[in-house]
Amino acid sequence: MTDERDPPEIPLEPFPVHRPESPFPPLYESLPPNPADPPSDWIETADAHDLPTRENRLAALGRFAFPPAPPLDDEGLAARDRRWTSRTIVVATAFLLVFNAVSPLNWSRQQAPSWLQGTVQQMSEVWVGELAVFGVDMPRQGAREAWMAARDARFVSQEPVSTAP
Amino acid sequence: MLFPTLAFGVFFLFVYFTAWSLDRENGRRKLFLLLASWFFYAQWDWRFVALLIASAVLNWAIGALIARTRERGDSRTAWMVGLGVAANLLILGFFKYYGFFVEQAADLLMRFGWERDLPLLQIVLPVGISFFTFQGISYVVDVYRGKTPPAKSLVDVMLLMSFFPHLVAGPIVRASDLLPQFDRAPRLTRAMATHGLLLIVWGLFKKTVIASELSVNLVDPVFFDPSAYSAFDIAAATYGYAVQIYCDFSAYSDMAIGLAALLGYSFPRNFDQPYRASSMQSFWRRWHISLSSWLRDYLYVPLGGGRKGLISSCINVFITMVLGGLWHGAAWTFLAWGALHGGVQVIERLFRAALGERKVVPTIIGVFVTFHIVCLGWILFRAESFDLAMQMLQGLGRMGPVVMLTPLLLTLIVGGLAMHWLPPRAIEGVAERLKAAPSVTLGLLIGAAILLVEAVRPEGVAPFIYFQF
Repeated sequence: MTDERDPPEIPLEPFPVHRPESPFPPLYESLPPNPADPPSDWIETADAHDLPTRENRLAALGRFAFPPAPPLDDEGLAARDRRWTSRTIVVATAFLLVFNAVSPLNWSRQQAPSWLQGTVQQMSEVWVGELAVFGVDMPRQGAREAWMAARDARFVSQEPVSTAP
Repeated sequence: MLFPTLAFGVFFLFVYFTAWSLDRENGRRKLFLLLASWFFYAQWDWRFVALLIASAVLNWAIGALIARTRERGDSRTAWMVGLGVAANLLILGFFKYYGFFVEQAADLLMRFGWERDLPLLQIVLPVGISFFTFQGISYVVDVYRGKTPPAKSLVDVMLLMSFFPHLVAGPIVRASDLLPQFDRAPRLTRAMATHGLLLIVWGLFKKTVIASELSVNLVDPVFFDPSAYSAFDIAAATYGYAVQIYCDFSAYSDMAIGLAALLGYSFPRNFDQPYRASSMQSFWRRWHISLSSWLRDYLYVPLGGGRKGLISSCINVFITMVLGGLWHGAAWTFLAWGALHGGVQVIERLFRAALGERKVVPTIIGVFVTFHIVCLGWILFRAESFDLAMQMLQGLGRMGPVVMLTPLLLTLIVGGLAMHWLPPRAIEGVAERLKAAPSVTLGLLIGAAILLVEAVRPEGVAPFIYFQF
């Protein structure tokens, strides 16, 4: 890599056939030898978790104010799973009370007249009416209409079911 | 009080929360579950709660007597177990078969010219009597055989026989499965709860959508008057009934297993994709497993099983299946159904004895043939009489327009059969994934699934088919 032109005996080819000598001295030979590694400070018996770590002061305050609970025993785990199941059931029930509000109303209309039936019917009618304002009955209604359309579908050249024997 | 009703939903919510609030005191919890089960049963007819209690007291007393006699070193316990089995069969026979046998006896006497006024009684069949008497028999026999220790208290036996998830239509849960679970306060894990909830929703869908739709719009009209329909409709109704009875009965079992799981108890599996069976033997290892294993342990094995050679085992299988047919109902059609299943199993055994275990029929052909034999059996099972069954079979050769079968019903039939080719433990797999979800997410998913089922189900719910057994 010099600014000098190639000597005439070297054929001019797109790529040089040998590497030209560098005017600079060899790079690595000029460097001083590497110094030896210092002796290791690794402590075989030390546990990395024992080493002091820097903790966010706010987190430390939080940990002080609300210390973490001890790990759960079997009974604690079982209670946690029970609570999880109960929450799941409550959420599903609440969802159905909102989106399937018409179900208690239908049930009350199928019962013999009684105090309970009358009370449930009155409460359900108010509940269904209030919720209908928000359109929460639409998913159920939409699914029902789609199902009824599928039920009414017939094969080609098939008569309506009402004329069946 | 049927499972897929609002009344049962309210009842179960009350039972669930109260039972878990009593979990620190197992005795009170069991007592509460027992009272709840009696309340559940009393919704059909409160008088039969007394029968349930009497049956449980009888079996508990026989079990205790057997254990005490054995403790004293007295080996004469065979007559006690005989007494227990006879008493259970007497209860079953009186309520279920009295009318049938008296009618047959009267017919027979009339043929010989000895017409008599036999005492015909209009006996109301207690719901689920076949199930709780079979459980009583299994308890007494298991105590006698030493397979299970006698129950520690009368409450345990009462709860074993009356526990509401399995009370009216199974599965037939053995004492050896359930009594050890009653000994300690149950635990509920996320996996168990998720699995239970999914089984309840899946059962709800199978019963109220597939089985009800097929029953109301296809099966019932065609089986009522087969002469009015063509071969296509009759074939569709036959396949439809195969799907209906599977979806109906397996739905009950699924919901029973799911409800028990939510209360912390584990029931055995009762169905395992039965229409995937490539032989009748395989079918009975997949259909109503708790009954088929009961028949094996308490009927086939005591008859001699396969210990005395091929012919003896064939006879024993045939007798077992015929009596299994009779268990389903007091009618000749049920006997014929049992005989068909027994006869085909005998033929299979003879073939197996002649050809060895090597496979001579491809699985797909085995599945096809087995399914159609099962469908033939369902015609006998469903028809009100032999005449109607014969009309159904004759109608299979009658050409005419398709009247009853609609695209939706065809989809339900195909879907009901296709679910047999889902991965065998699909629900467990989904539950395993969903158990890590937050409770709100799972609650919304469960609620949305129930909402969808509620939106498309027909008005009202027909009782489960197996209630009549």
